Order: sequence, then C-alpha cells, then structure tokens
Amino acid sequence: MTERYVGRNVYKVDAQDKVMGKAKYPDDIYFDNMLYLKIKRATHPHAHLRRIDISKAVKLPGVVKIITADDIPQVKNFGLIIKDQPVLVGIGQKMRYMGDALAIVIAETKEIASKAVRLIEVEVEELEVISDPLRAMEKDAPLIHKDGNILATHYLEKGDIKKGFAEANVIVENEYRTTFLDQVPLQVEAGVGIYDEESGFIKLWVASQWLHDTQADVAQSLGFPKEKIRIIQPVIGGAFGKKEDISVHIHLALAAIATKRPVKLTYTREESMIAQSKRHPFIIRVKTGATKEGYLTAWQAEVIGDTGAYASSGPAVVHKGMYHCTGPYNVDNVKGVAYTVYTNNTYAGAMRGFGTTQMAFAYESQMDILAHKLGIDPAQFRLQNAYNIGSSTPNGQILTHSVGVKETIKKAAEIAGWKGGLR
Amino acid sequence: MSKLTIGFIINGQKKTIETTTSTRLLDLIRDDLHLTGTKEGCGKGECGACTVIMNGELVASCLILATQSDGAVITTIEGIGDNECLDPVQEAFIETGAVQCGFCTPGMILAAKKMLEENPHPDEEEIKRGISGNLCRCTGYQKIIDAIKLAANRLSSKNGGRSEKDD
Amino acid sequence: MKKQGRGIATIMFGFGYGEGFPDHAIASAEIEEGGKILIRTAAADVGQGVLTIITQIAAEVLKVKPEAIRIIPGDTHLTKNSGSSSATRQTFFTGNAVKEASEGLLSNIYHYASIEFRSNHVELGIKDGYIFRNDNPKNKLSYWELAERVKERGDSLKAEASFFPRTDIPDPKTGQGKKVYVAYTFVTQVIEVEVDTDTGIVEVLNVYTAADIGKAINPKNVEGQIEGGTVQGIGMALMEEQVIKEGITLNPDLTSYLIPTSMDTPHFATLLVENEDSEGPFGAKGIGEPATIATTPAIANAIYDAIGVRIYHLPITPEKILKALKEENKRGNKEGF
Repeated sequence: MTERYVGRNVYKVDAQDKVMGKAKYPDDIYFDNMLYLKIKRATHPHAHLRRIDISKAVKLPGVVKIITADDIPQVKNFGLIIKDQPVLVGIGQKMRYMGDALAIVIAETKEIASKAVRLIEVEVEELEVISDPLRAMEKDAPLIHKDGNILATHYLEKGDIKKGFAEANVIVENEYRTTFLDQVPLQVEAGVGIYDEESGFIKLWVASQWLHDTQADVAQSLGFPKEKIRIIQPVIGGAFGKKEDISVHIHLALAAIATKRPVKLTYTREESMIAQSKRHPFIIRVKTGATKEGYLTAWQAEVIGDTGAYASSGPAVVHKGMYHCTGPYNVDNVKGVAYTVYTNNTYAGAMRGFGTTQMAFAYESQMDILAHKLGIDPAQFRLQNAYNIGSSTPNGQILTHSVGVKETIKKAAEIAGWKGGLR
Repeated sequence: MSKLTIGFIINGQKKTIETTTSTRLLDLIRDDLHLTGTKEGCGKGECGACTVIMNGELVASCLILATQSDGAVITTIEGIGDNECLDPVQEAFIETGAVQCGFCTPGMILAAKKMLEENPHPDEEEIKRGISGNLCRCTGYQKIIDAIKLAANRLSSKNGGRSEKDD
Repeated sequence: MKKQGRGIATIMFGFGYGEGFPDHAIASAEIEEGGKILIRTAAADVGQGVLTIITQIAAEVLKVKPEAIRIIPGDTHLTKNSGSSSATRQTFFTGNAVKEASEGLLSNIYHYASIEFRSNHVELGIKDGYIFRNDNPKNKLSYWELAERVKERGDSLKAEASFFPRTDIPDPKTGQGKKVYVAYTFVTQVIEVEVDTDTGIVEVLNVYTAADIGKAINPKNVEGQIEGGTVQGIGMALMEEQVIKEGITLNPDLTSYLIPTSMDTPHFATLLVENEDSEGPFGAKGIGEPATIATTPAIANAIYDAIGVRIYHLPITPEKILKALKEENKRGNKEGF
C-alpha cells in the first residue's frame, strides 16, 4: 500500500502562524482591565514562616490586593503524584525550597507588583538546610516532610545476582553522578485567568503538557467542581517535561476570584529556574559482570535520586531510571534499588528521558569500560548482547515484537564508517 | 518613573505613544502595541527571542528603553511578509522543518534576514555565527541552518546573483 | 594538542506511562460545515509536531488533503482526555485514537453513502473527499453533501475512539511484570569529538544516528526530534548544570547556565529503521525522549577514546578534563577504577 500523507514530510500545520509571529503563546493574551501578578517567594530554603507583613506593600499605589495563606484556608496542596506542594506557605508552616510561594501580589502593572513584592517583610525560623540527598537519608537528618526524607523506595530483582557475578570473568563497579538540569523551554511559565462570577467558571489560558490532569489538580486544590475549571491551551513554547507541573495556574485562579478582573502572571527566567521542576540529579552505583567471551551475566544498580523539596514526578522518574538499568542488553541476573529522596533543593520532576537519560550515562559507560577490558570492539560487544525478539527486559517483560536494536547498531556503525569486528 | 511621549516608525507605520522612562522597548512593543510576535525568553539579552531590527541593527528589545526608540525605525516579525506572500526566509523555515515550538522563530528569522542582507552567500560557519545570539531549545539548529541556506539560494537566484550553491 | 575520538551508545526507552497506569487517549472525527473535517483531541503540541502527525493520519485514513483537516485547540471543555505530551506517547496513543476515530468516520461515510447510492459498500469508491459508485464515478457525493443528507435523517457523521492498551503493575518487591511498557524505542549513536588537551574544550564534530522508530509518520519531524534531542544531550554532557548550594541556585539565568548555541551544532547523519512492526499507527513508535538519551554516553565514550580518561560526574567540563588528564599523567595508566 502506498500512503499519500503518512511517511511524507508534510509541513507543520502550525508553522505558518509561527513564522509570522501570529501564534498566541500564554503571555501573548491580553484583556482590557487586566491586572498583573507577582509572587513573593521563600526567603530561606528550609524555615518556619513566623510572620509575614504586607502592610507596606498594600499601601503602594496601584496594588489591588495581596493574598496570603490566611486568606485561603480552604485551598489544598497540589502535586502531580503526591499532593505535597502548598499553594501558599502559611504562618507556622514550612518553606522547603526557595521557590515556595508566600504571597500573591496583584497590581495594576508588572512594575508595581514587583515593587510591592520587595516591600513584603518576612520573619522566619531557620532550620538545617539539606542540600545533599545522602545527608537527607541519614537517620539524624531533620525531616523535610513528616513521613521521612526517603519518599519512595523501589526494587528490581530478576534471576540470581550472586550466581550471575560468580559466572563473570570480569566485574566492573563504578559510581556515576548527574546534576540538576533545567529543561529551558524558551517560553517561561505564564498564563491569564478570568473568573466569571455569574456562572462560577474559572477560565485559564496556560500551557500544559496534560490539560485534563492540570484541570483536575487545580479543581481539587481550589475545591471547585472539575467542570468549573476550564483550561484553554495556547500555543506552547517548548516544554521537555517542565510544563507537566502546576506553575501559575492556581495563583491565577485565586487572583481572578479575589479581584473579578482578568489577571496575568508571567515568571521571569530566574523564577522559572528556581521555582519550577528540574531534571533529577542521580547518584548511580553500578556493578556489572561479563564472561571473557563478552556476554553479560549480572547487573546490579543502586540509584539515589534527589527529588528536591516536593515529589512532582519524582517517584516515577527515579524508578523508571532503574527499570532501564541494563540498557537494551540481555542480562539474566539483575538487582536494583532506587531511592527517591527529599532535599531542600528545587524540586525535580520530568525532563526528556524521565530518569532513563541519567541511567543511560551509567549503563553505556559500563558497556564501554567492559568492552575495553575484554578487548572486544565496543560496537560488537553491544551487538552480541543486544535484545532480540524473545529477550527479557529488567522488568522481565518479554519483547514480542518491534525489537530493532541490533539493526540500529549495525546501521549507525555503517553510516559512521565504524571499523571493528561487526559481524 | 515620569511619563513622556515618543514617536517612531514601526513596520512602516508612524506611532506616537506615551511611555515611561523605565519601560523597556520590549514592553512597549508587546504590552502597548500588542505586537506579540516579539517574545521575552530571558530578559537579559541572552536568548534573542526579543530581537527586533532598529535603525537597521539587530537589537535585543529587552535591553533597550522605550525612550531610546524615539525617532527610530523599527521592524518586528509582524513587518515581515504577509499571509498572501511570505518572506523567502519564512517560507524556507516552513519547508525545511526549522520550526518546532516556534518561540525563538520570530527572532531567528529577523537575525537570518539581517545576516542575508549583509552576506547574501553565507557558508555554514557564517550562518552558525550569524544566529549564535539566538537560542533555540527544540531543533538543535540544524534545520534552521538548512532553512537559511535554502533562503539564501533562492534570494540570490531571484536577485540574479550567483546561481544556487550545491551544498 | 587536539585529539579526536569516537564513541558509541545504544539505548532503549520503554514509552507510555506503562506500569499499570490507566494511560489512554480519546479522539473524535466529524464532518463539519465549511469543507473541513474536525478532529477533537487534547494532545498538547509542545513543538514536537503532534498536531501535524494527527493531521497526516486523519488525511490518510479519510482520503482527503491535509488542508481539509482542522484540529480544535486543546480545551478541557471541548476535547476529551488525550493524556500527557510526555513519555514519548502521543504519536502512539493519540495517533492510534485519531486513526481509529477516522476509521470510524470512514465506516459511517460508507454506511450512509451505501444507503444514498442504494449500493453495497464494496461497490463504492472514495477519492479526495468524495464517495461514488464505482460503476458511475461522475455521480458522486462529497463528504459534506453526505453529511447534510445524514443530518436530514436526524443523525450526524462523526466517530469517537480511544486507545487504551493494558499494561501491568510491576511486582513491588521485584519490579517484575508481564507487560510493563507498551513498547520500546531503540537508538544507537556514534559520535565523533575533538578534545583540546591544552584547554579541555570538547567539540562534537559528527553525530551518526540510527533509530528504530517502527515507522516515521513524518521523517523530517523525526529528524528534527533527533537533532534537537542530540543537541540537548550535548548540553547535558558538556556544559549544563544548575548549581544549587545549600538550597540556593547560584546560576539562575542563561548568562551563567549555558545551553548549546548554533556554534555547538555538529554535523548530522540520521538513518531511520522502519520495520513497521509496532502496534502504533502505521507501525510507528515514539521518538521524543529516546532522541536525547544516547548522546551523553556516546560523547563520554568518545572523549575516552580521544584522550584515555573517563569522567564519571556530569557535565564533562574543560576543568574536569584537565584535572583528569593531570591525574592520568601522574598515574600513567588507563581506565581509572
């Protein structure tokens, strides 16, 4: 069958609007009588909020309203997997990272809102700042959340790891570390909100990677019926995982309700980097065994993922990384453990690869080290261990179809002119 | 923050507008004129999303005060091409797949146009240098480079210049 | 001294949420007035091009030009759940839902046209938005004329479909499960670098990619994903780090958090392995995330090949390379572990 459009380089359907500058991204939406928001954020990475004084800020001409936690007792925490993120930190509550919101300033202009934020006075009682996940895991470390600093532990066990290492002629053991990365979508977090008093509807124009999930989280946090929260997707200026989490949404909704006027909130790049999700830094301890003929026998991995102050996608990211610990290679004996750990760093969530990007740095370094130790061409070493139909992943999933991994090794080597013992 | 009135020509249209001494040119273009094709990506002149052409020069409109544009001639992305007739650079961006999220695209197209004005036959290295002040996080730049090459070839053959390069 | 090296990395990525999560996508297709076919989906186009992919799929199934397809902008109140534009899942999930919805609409077109033409389905032909009896192609009805007739019958020409593949929750003690992810994408990259041993600066010269993506709905889009993902991988390998000390970010701007510019773009050669053997639409698998994963290790391996030192902590900055070279010189042996 010949396809007419599938498999063809059809031009992007939204490209013309984009090259003409007509595409409307969240910050490009304007309404008459619109107010601007700025957020007063945490003044310390780990501290109890003792006092917040907005009296000077409210007096600034052009400031319409300032919302603090006292004004919204009914509002609940939010979060992608675990609802552990406060909308606003209240008196007596804790700020857990520098991105936590303390107050929403609503003003006639952006400049006035920024100025007012600087006039808000905050007193805190400082706590030990935990920036290192290894410190967070120690027994005497202060708790960032009440249920402990280890948010999640996941396990992997296939075959007999002891037997696997006993069969190995060569064993390679290393520790790899990756760092916090920002997704850096060119468009920072931004949005516009409107509250219609008569119908009780909140309308939000905010970029979201998953519209209906965002709607559900906003609704549960505000205590609104889901159908009263309408989110309309503007054009999205990149995401890479960063637009999965709530950012401006709930603050916009609260400000729209409080003022009955259209409201806009746009982060600065700095705010986006400090307040919004990161790629998890991983500590990966890995031990790999192979026979002298170059076949993998055992693979053991321990992963510690720093998820920062809040869970976000963390529990899913860190173990997905571990579930990919062997790469696309046949290994009968696998053992792994993955810890997702709270710290007072900026929270980590989704970023392209979702934990498996960090893990690939470890497993593909291990493969290379082993190939060199064994004196086998690195491409050949991969080829002879790579999955076939019928192979079993670290999860024990038997691959029944669409396993083109060997072909990718052969083709990449071929177009690169790779010289070596490719069979 | 005192107010004053300034005048300039933007996309061929004469404008007189009241602004303040602290307003950035970017805010004037977006918030007052609602020409939202000019984007803000960093606010520090690092990303190039807010690029406009002012008095023939590429500028980061987030680093310029609105008052500095008094008497200036400004071109934003809205001043390039129209629905019936796109600019060859815009066409090339569509055809080569140089547009993904599109947020860098307006600034990138203005940078490309300016480069091609000064150097109608850039080689790959010159193209890379020409757009190095404009960040793109989606494309890895290759398709943008391809687009600029394609546009250069088309423009030079249209202008009766050198025939198409074979790269 | 400048030294060149070459590294290889092969990766897998289990896409979709998987792990027993109720991951699904809903889409609908309907004939709308004004000569368009309306597709409803909430799938977010973050720049990756899912709206274009959906357009191609719907146009293919319904045998109309892509220009005839209109996709409603995502709206919680006008579209149903399409799941997240993450987990490399939209082409596979929403692509399948749109394909099925389009097939449903096509079936309805056949159904009602067979009534209009007093004919059986097999005697009907379809071309460019028209349906006709094969024995009399001149007597044809456009989809939109047919929709009018269907409306007169008190019905409408539309179809909704969802794609909801089952996956299994892995055993909490062992992580074992029968079907943990819907499918896997595989990518191999060979990357050539040049390392300046005086400055520690690494330049990525050539990137050769082979990706097993089942089928490219739009090859240029796939290439764009691979190139973009690779350059993000270059960032991760060589320069990017948000430095957070005692909870405070020290480099919260693009002046001090460096991402690759056009000057960092290598030369690309990309080959797509298309066996059309996945359960995705037309055999397609996802590429969004796999596009970035192989790059960092391939670069790390290429650096080792060039200068004989291995860096275990990302990013592989010039300072780390110079330090490692210094230590290497002291030790005088290779592969330090």
